[in-house]
Amino acid sequence: MARYAMVIDLRKCVGCDACTVACRTEWDVPIGHSRTWVNHTGIEGEFPDVLGSFFVAQCNHCDNPTCIDPCPTGATFQLENGIVKVDPDVCIGCGLCVEACPYDARYINPVTKKVDKCDFCEARLEEGLQPACVVTCTANAKFFGDLEDPNSIVYKKVYEEGAWRIENENAAIGPNVYYLGTPEQLELVREKFGPRKPRLATPAQFLNKVVRPLILTMVGATFLGQAVAFFRQLMKGEEPFDE
Amino acid sequence: MKLTRRDFLKKSSLGTGLLLLANTVEANTLRPKPLGWKGRQRVREIASLCEMCFWRCGILGNVDEHGRLLKIDGNPFHPLTEGRLCARGNAGHKLTYDPDRLKYPLKRVGERGEGKFKRISWDEALDTIAEHLLKIKEEYGPQAVGYFPHGIHARFFSKLMDAYGTPNAAEPAFAQCRGPRDVGYKLTFGANVGSPEPVDFEHSKMLVFIGTHIGENVFTGQILEFARAIERGVKLLVVDPRYSTAASKATWWLPIKPGTDTALLLAWIHVIINENLYDREYVRRYTIGLQELKRHVQQYTPEWAEKITEIPASVIYETAREMGRNKPAVGLHPGRHFTWYGNDSQRARAMAILTALLGAYGRPGGIYLPTKIPAPKYPTPPEPPKPPRADGAGTLYPFASRGLGVTNGLIDATLSEKPYPIKAWITYGQNVIQSIPDPYSTIEAIRKLDFMLVIDVMPTEPTLFADIVLPEATYLERYDDLLTVSNAKTPFAAIRQPVIEPLFESKPGWWIAKELAKRLGLEEHFPWESIEEYLNYRLAGLGVTLQEAAAKGIVRYEKSKPYIEPGENYRFKTPSGKIELYSRQLKDAGFDPLPVYEPPDEVPKGYFRLLYGRSPIHSFARSQNNEILNAYQPENAVWVNNKMAEQMQLKDGDYVELENQDGIKSNPIRVRITPGIRPDSVFIVHGFGQQSPLMKKAFLKGASDTFLMTRFKVDPISGGTGMRVNFVRLLKDGKPLMASASPATLKLETKPRTARTQQPVAPPPKTIPPMEEVEEEEGC
Repeated sequence: MARYAMVIDLRKCVGCDACTVACRTEWDVPIGHSRTWVNHTGIEGEFPDVLGSFFVAQCNHCDNPTCIDPCPTGATFQLENGIVKVDPDVCIGCGLCVEACPYDARYINPVTKKVDKCDFCEARLEEGLQPACVVTCTANAKFFGDLEDPNSIVYKKVYEEGAWRIENENAAIGPNVYYLGTPEQLELVREKFGPRKPRLATPAQFLNKVVRPLILTMVGATFLGQAVAFFRQLMKGEEPFDE
Repeated sequence: MKLTRRDFLKKSSLGTGLLLLANTVEANTLRPKPLGWKGRQRVREIASLCEMCFWRCGILGNVDEHGRLLKIDGNPFHPLTEGRLCARGNAGHKLTYDPDRLKYPLKRVGERGEGKFKRISWDEALDTIAEHLLKIKEEYGPQAVGYFPHGIHARFFSKLMDAYGTPNAAEPAFAQCRGPRDVGYKLTFGANVGSPEPVDFEHSKMLVFIGTHIGENVFTGQILEFARAIERGVKLLVVDPRYSTAASKATWWLPIKPGTDTALLLAWIHVIINENLYDREYVRRYTIGLQELKRHVQQYTPEWAEKITEIPASVIYETAREMGRNKPAVGLHPGRHFTWYGNDSQRARAMAILTALLGAYGRPGGIYLPTKIPAPKYPTPPEPPKPPRADGAGTLYPFASRGLGVTNGLIDATLSEKPYPIKAWITYGQNVIQSIPDPYSTIEAIRKLDFMLVIDVMPTEPTLFADIVLPEATYLERYDDLLTVSNAKTPFAAIRQPVIEPLFESKPGWWIAKELAKRLGLEEHFPWESIEEYLNYRLAGLGVTLQEAAAKGIVRYEKSKPYIEPGENYRFKTPSGKIELYSRQLKDAGFDPLPVYEPPDEVPKGYFRLLYGRSPIHSFARSQNNEILNAYQPENAVWVNNKMAEQMQLKDGDYVELENQDGIKSNPIRVRITPGIRPDSVFIVHGFGQQSPLMKKAFLKGASDTFLMTRFKVDPISGGTGMRVNFVRLLKDGKPLMASASPATLKLETKPRTARTQQPVAPPPKTIPPMEEVEEEEGC
């Protein structure tokens, strides 16, 4: 079984946003939301001794994802190859996983009302293609492959070139998007864009975001079901009520 | 209900099977198609060329069963981009589906500039244009038509203009962009640099960028080569007043005082000659004028340059020696947008001379040589002899390209009616208002015209002034002329073909030109029956048919010779056959035969020098209305040094107005406070602050650098407009944020519209230098 991972070489990245636009058009990501995004640390220091770096982020498909447990319906799950997925048919859009992701890699799609995020372009992988962002990267700064395969490019970048995981005391959950850069650059990136603490739902939030909508849905479904049964019985000419 | 992973996989693989079945029925199978958007299937993948900017990368248009374009991918067969595309290329479909695009031929019904039009038929539009053009030709001669083209799609219309007989075609690609560079390099090496700049990134040990901001200035193929050089550990030297993306990757960042680059270059040449760091064998064999150069640069010590450039002499020595150590594999990037301070051809000369001293021209790791592609022109009858040009190309500006012209010279001529009246303008995919400095004069010139025709895709500012507007099909909807790229290790030809049918009543450029030719009695100049026949003729030179070329979109030409062989008796196309360190051509025309530094105006107290440049999200003023790109960068921001911002009590994200030295104010613009820019300068991205209300997303978003350029300094050698000669102060609530003199009282060397007063009285040069009449490449 494979263990998919990505390596982003920030020394090469020019922050051109080709990857994020390609992702947007590949997956119809609505404007205002992103599966992957480019940030800049801002230019630090005093003129002319300054430092600044781009940072490209997306779902990290972590070894120990914090987004799966909070999902009340099981819509979020992880494949054996490491890809963390959301099944839109099962997702109720409660957003608990959005809060739980320390990298803010998830969003609720305003059109479908479901949670969406990077899935390493799983559908493309099945066709033998690389993820859309990797293919289009103008700087050839994104690398994708199987971390368990010693011949893969990501294996070399991670184990031989020493790519970093962006982790800190807030969250060390084994992200599988790795970064190459100068040490100062990576320190700056970690300082600016390291993970936050995963936010778990309070009971009140859980009640509001999950239980209520669920009850409403069930009530609605029950009502609809009864109505359908009622009319069906009417059509058949049966008595609507027992006894 | 909880879905197990197994269920999920089963479900999705079933979906895959079905979609694959659907896809393989009709697909032009270049590669497997992925599943994509819910319920949408790509059924055709059509290879073509991008035109979100002038680099024209290879694309694959993914089209669904209804003929609708779903997504654009990069074309993996493209030799330079390897299937990669920038943000703009990836967002190209939003140009075609832009609700604001020009849809029908229009006739102006309001005042010029008002933007009130009525829809008319193509017949009425073409008849009206023909009527005007025939009348003008009869009354004033064909030279009374000024023509401003851009891009390969304008070629057919350019052909029409040639046949009509006007000599007055001018592209901002020359006088607002790379003109002085081309002139400086051509004077030295006998050849233009060309596009893309043939820097041998692959083999460079050291790269030198003078203001070149690759990364923000995006050509995908060049970024790819640049990034790979960085990965390889190339030494990178970036000279830029701003901490650009390239500077953030540099070994040395030299934040030079703006306008003093030539002083730095002369000091480098001084060190390289005096310390014998130049390539002696190369210089002996291929150049002339070393002794004159050596004498000339004795005065330009690094200590002298330190005072001017504000770069420590020790750094100048260190970097010069580093170049010497890495010769000839030093890739001194020739730059592209080159019209900065009005002495720009001399800066290009200094760069070319430095390149030659390092033995880097035609050598691995330096600048490689182009390979001409054998794609013959379609035979047509001879064109009428042309009257003299009105724009000064070849006369007032002796070394200006007579193929690309001098736009500002043409505007001057329109205003002054000298040497003769210009009565009509035709702009073709060219925003003359946002791309040429002093747009106030440009608009004044337009208001004088009897007739203005705009052919474009979007309702840009010039559209508002047009008498007739023709809606061109977008690059995704048309065939264009063949693109030949000779500046590549694998040179190639590439075709643009329709990915979808033209929307609304838009028409491709070749159709517009051919139809208008019929009405002007110039049909014989368009003898081909169809565009396919035309392209087949040109492709025959490469031994392929259009049909064969269409599948991959690219025809590679493997016979390249990128380097001068060691010891080769290479003849340069200069008058002497050598690289001319000392330029007799310049001397004979009354200019300095060796580059001389000219100081720019000092920044007035309380003002900043207005610098401008590129963003990877936008192409000039062309892409701001694109739904996706607009969302990424709806407006520009002004970079202000943090210490200066502190003095002005500005906060990051505040809005200010920029007021220039002539009291012109910008739209409000957001402040980006950063230590990454010199205290004496501010920087904005070019192309914002658009003034056409018909472009609903872009209208009045951000500030326009062009509208703040009331002054420019013309390079007397090339005619290029130095545009970094404008100064701004920052206003909040209408009040200046720093003590500063009011615009009216400023004393500056560069005067507004200098060229207008210069125009008819300059002495003709002693010799007219030989320049090619027509230059193949377009675009800035």
